[in-house]
Amino acid sequence: MLMEVKNQLRVFGLSVKYALMREMLNKVTFITNILFMILNNACFIVQMLVLFSLKEDVGGYSFREMLLLWGMAAGTYGVSRFFFKNSFSLSDTINNGKLDAYLVQPKNVLISSITNEVETSAIGDIIYAYIMLFAYGFTIPRFILYTIFIICGGLILTSISVIFSSLSFWFSKSDAITERVNSIMIHFATYPDGIFKGIVKIILFTIIPVGLANYLPVRIIREFNINLFLIVIIVTILLIVISFIMFYKGLKKYSSSNLMIARM
Amino acid sequence: MRKYLYIFKTEIMSNLQYIFNILVGFIGFFIVLFIFLNLWNYMYDDPSQLINGYTKNQMIWYVIITEILWMTLEGRTYCKKICNDVRSGNIAYNINKPYNYILYSLSNHLGSVSIKFIVYIILGMIMGYIFMGSFPNLNILSILAILITGILATVISILLITFIGLCSFIIEDANPFYWLYSKFILILGTVFPIEYFPKTIQPILTFSPVYVVSYGPAKLFVDFNINNFISIIIAQIIYIIIGYFICSLMYKKGVRKLNVNGG
Amino acid sequence: MKVIEVKKLSKKFRVKLKEKGLKGSLKSIIKPKYKEIKAVKDVSFEVEKGEMVAFIGPNGAGKSTTIKMMTGILYPDNGSIKVLDIDPKKDRKKLAYQIGTVFGQKEQLWTHLTPYDNFKFFGAIYDIPDIKVEKKIDELKTLFELDEFINTPVRNLSLGQRIRCEIVASLIHEPKILFLDEPTIGLDPVVKENIRTLIKRMNKEYKTTIFLTSHDVGDIEKLCKRVIIINNGQVVLDDTMENLKYHYLNKKIIDAKMKEMVNLDDEDGITILKDKGYNIKIEVDTNKKSVSDALKLLNPDNIIDINISNVPLEDIISDIYIKDDKQ
Repeated sequence: MLMEVKNQLRVFGLSVKYALMREMLNKVTFITNILFMILNNACFIVQMLVLFSLKEDVGGYSFREMLLLWGMAAGTYGVSRFFFKNSFSLSDTINNGKLDAYLVQPKNVLISSITNEVETSAIGDIIYAYIMLFAYGFTIPRFILYTIFIICGGLILTSISVIFSSLSFWFSKSDAITERVNSIMIHFATYPDGIFKGIVKIILFTIIPVGLANYLPVRIIREFNINLFLIVIIVTILLIVISFIMFYKGLKKYSSSNLMIARM
Repeated sequence: MRKYLYIFKTEIMSNLQYIFNILVGFIGFFIVLFIFLNLWNYMYDDPSQLINGYTKNQMIWYVIITEILWMTLEGRTYCKKICNDVRSGNIAYNINKPYNYILYSLSNHLGSVSIKFIVYIILGMIMGYIFMGSFPNLNILSILAILITGILATVISILLITFIGLCSFIIEDANPFYWLYSKFILILGTVFPIEYFPKTIQPILTFSPVYVVSYGPAKLFVDFNINNFISIIIAQIIYIIIGYFICSLMYKKGVRKLNVNGG
Repeated sequence: MKVIEVKKLSKKFRVKLKEKGLKGSLKSIIKPKYKEIKAVKDVSFEVEKGEMVAFIGPNGAGKSTTIKMMTGILYPDNGSIKVLDIDPKKDRKKLAYQIGTVFGQKEQLWTHLTPYDNFKFFGAIYDIPDIKVEKKIDELKTLFELDEFINTPVRNLSLGQRIRCEIVASLIHEPKILFLDEPTIGLDPVVKENIRTLIKRMNKEYKTTIFLTSHDVGDIEKLCKRVIIINNGQVVLDDTMENLKYHYLNKKIIDAKMKEMVNLDDEDGITILKDKGYNIKIEVDTNKKSVSDALKLLNPDNIIDINISNVPLEDIISDIYIKDDKQ
């Protein structure tokens, strides 16, 4: 079992390395992609500046904390897009029978199929995340917590993608929904939770777990709380387990490239 | 003109089958507006308060209109398409065909976004009404006027993006320029009206595309005023003429380059 | 020893029906209609160790579906499969260590890497220690003549070189069975011949069982001793290549160019395939009529040019397809 995990990690590492090498074939494109993404994220500071010129705090967040929230959003998205880029196009992989190649390999199909590409611009997201940590105030404990949370958040985003993409095994049209779910999470993650009330707030901590991927971590970095910390970790693990179960349940329905549309 | 109308119509037909995707896409639109509803609810202490001359409801309607204009545009896909046409040499095949490439692309893309445009307007209005319980004070004529500025805004956006795409004749990849343009409109044109920005940059924004592609129609919707309408429509017409002119210029220049290289 | 045992295998797909036109599109969104298609029906066969079996059939016959079920890609609806005594449905990973697959139209290699790096990657996938992988690559490099381009990125290789690399990549873990799906598709005749020779050599060297699908009769004829023909999801023929040919071998085709018009009538043992007066093509069943008797009918003095040949394998196979479709 341990050996198996080790081998799986080795293949994962090699996949990322090779995929990154492919992205780096064109150095100029590679670097501009990263820089543009940092710039892209930074642009939205303008919005924040306008909002904070109207009020001292927005949704219970100071400007500095808002930067941290933004960094967290970029970081989680970056981790998920860099390491698991294909989890975002998993529906397409399923619908077009592109899982075949991974099914004949003695490795975990889900992991192989979502890790064979990396997104260059996601590196920019991750760098931006750490720039925001510096803007907030760098300390070693914060750095460690922040890193853990970015990874957890990335895994949460990825799991959600996988869970919704797995619906494609049953209904091929579900790809449009997956895309939406991802962008919804990002939208919420870039605004403070203090502006939402009641049922919406509950939804954000359950069905669309932005609260767990982004809001809670910022709160924990502001003021450490072991219980909240454990909740984040447990939810991450739970979502990963659910995503594996969903995927493997659906895999039995996999129809390779035989899903054709007959015209009458 | 008839052939462009035909292209426009065919595109509409072929896009009807994506209605499911359009509806699912609307969820994203809904979420963005929902967030802004919450944000402005938080920022305004009471509904009658004015911030930079706008009431809370006006701010939410403003975002509804600018987001409709922005989200139905599909600018990135369109820019990619033009860039690909240029880089793959597809554009060279079009030289001999009896139509104008710019008008062709324009009518083609207008056709492919029309259904989305209509669906979003209807759903956007319903949503605004549910959120706020009332419409801004408008009559049939002013609605018509706003609709015209909205359509012209889309035409201008498409022309400007066509120009950006055609820049691929000169530089290898024009997509980053689109990226800059889109950020400019998104940051400075969709969330806040021009009046929200510092006094020093307001005149710059008034002369920039922001005024004609997003601020104009949205401002008219929340606060209709015939003088504003006239100045907006004049600005839009000027932009269309300039937009078409620079596109043709770039196209001619690019095609000449193609001929020299033998395609 | 049996390495593959397939019993009463069945698989059906649900296919969405779409009506023409705008109305049809809208209708299929609101209330989609489905139709069940039985891709594979009660297929059974066995393969012995070291055999080279051709698995052929027209497009849509169920070839790929069967292969995909045997390799663990698809779940069968009914029936049982045992590949090396492993049930692909239950032990997909365990099976994967034992088999190799090459799908001619689908590439498994990273195109920006060299074949060498790719092979190392496959070594990692199959948990093979580095030293062993390097040794194996060395060995296969010689066998498949990869020396010239083993350090050139795959995207710069020709199609033939790529296929050779694909095959080598699927041999790194020393599979006991190799599944080849259209391995020579799109290759020119010289390269095809080269690939066939290499596959043959490999089969001899490692005693690897080979299960091959192809539309290319040359692949089948030159490589395989046994043929399984599948049509409309069912096995219609499972026999040795020799038997298949022998069955048709007693038929000869005579193609003659004549000085004068001849009038031939169908008679026992002779079928007229083409009669254009001066140009005649007939099929002779040698069990019923000897070739010399057939020639006498044509009047030897009258012949300008003549060609006597066997029925080509391609015709034999398509004949079987057509007969099956008629039933």
